[in-house]
Amino acid sequence: MAVTVKFFAGFREATGKIQDSIEGVNNVTSLLDELVRRFGEKLAERLYSSDTRELRKTVNILVNGRRLDFLQKLNTPLKDEDVVAIFPPVAGG
Amino acid sequence: MIISRFGETGQQKLKAAHVVVAGIGGLGSPASSYLAAAGAGHLTIIDSQRVELSNLNRQVLHWEPDVGRSKVKSATEKLTAMNSNIKVDAIFEQITSENVDRLTKGVDVVVDGMDNYPTRYLLNEACARNRVPFIHGAVEGLVGQLMTILPGGGPCLKCAIPNEPPKKPCFPVLGATPGVIGCLQAMEAIKLITGVGEPLVGRMLIFNGMDMTFDEIKVNRDPSCQVCGRQDR
Repeated sequence: MAVTVKFFAGFREATGKIQDSIEGVNNVTSLLDELVRRFGEKLAERLYSSDTRELRKTVNILVNGRRLDFLQKLNTPLKDEDVVAIFPPVAGG
Repeated sequence: MIISRFGETGQQKLKAAHVVVAGIGGLGSPASSYLAAAGAGHLTIIDSQRVELSNLNRQVLHWEPDVGRSKVKSATEKLTAMNSNIKVDAIFEQITSENVDRLTKGVDVVVDGMDNYPTRYLLNEACARNRVPFIHGAVEGLVGQLMTILPGGGPCLKCAIPNEPPKKPCFPVLGATPGVIGCLQAMEAIKLITGVGEPLVGRMLIFNGMDMTFDEIKVNRDPSCQVCGRQDR
């Protein structure tokens, strides 16, 4: 049993994966820590601002289809079988 | 239209429909072309820009001789030449908070052909307020995204994307990417108008041409969303 993380667009390039299964994480912060541990600085650069090391505002993370802003932000708890989507929205037209 | 479930009734519904295509660039060109060719009876195309040479890789309604002309004038000529039985209104204006209600109220569908989030958010809010379906699309490089927003029926653009991506001087786009997304926007509009099929509501489609995948991200509507949270379901 684990959390499923789905990567889109640039996050797919940074991880080389479409999705991954992560065990032993209890909230979004610990999930992101584990992802950075697995995929390294290339992923960290896409997730966090280089100045503040805070999550970039343009990184969209949905837990079971709901934005973190509407949940408990980075403290949003995770449980087995949750699905987390990480994507950077595109803007051109 | 002899495709199963559309029929003459579907064609009549298309003929009676009024669709706004907001932005007649990379997304708006294919979207409006397929709407015109399908017989959508009344198109209003809105754009405040003039054609530049750098547009031509993707904005396929505009051709070399059109450089310097207004995009709406260039597009109107092509669309009416494609189908002389439709009406095309060309609005050479920037969409603002002052005119967005006038431009969207009472129409059947609004197609997002914009290249920036502030205007997308204005359209998203106006469509929610005026209860008009809004078909969001955006592209960059070989990646595109698509979501259909129904008033009172699912999440809105703010539910899915609360913050605009960082501004850049330009968004490099392989021309075929908005070709894919713009065509899908036209398809969603045609489906909504004719009542055929399941619209892309509560799901954001992510197209990645780099590995040629189409994925869906589930998006839930949030009751506390400032745009759509208080709407009746």
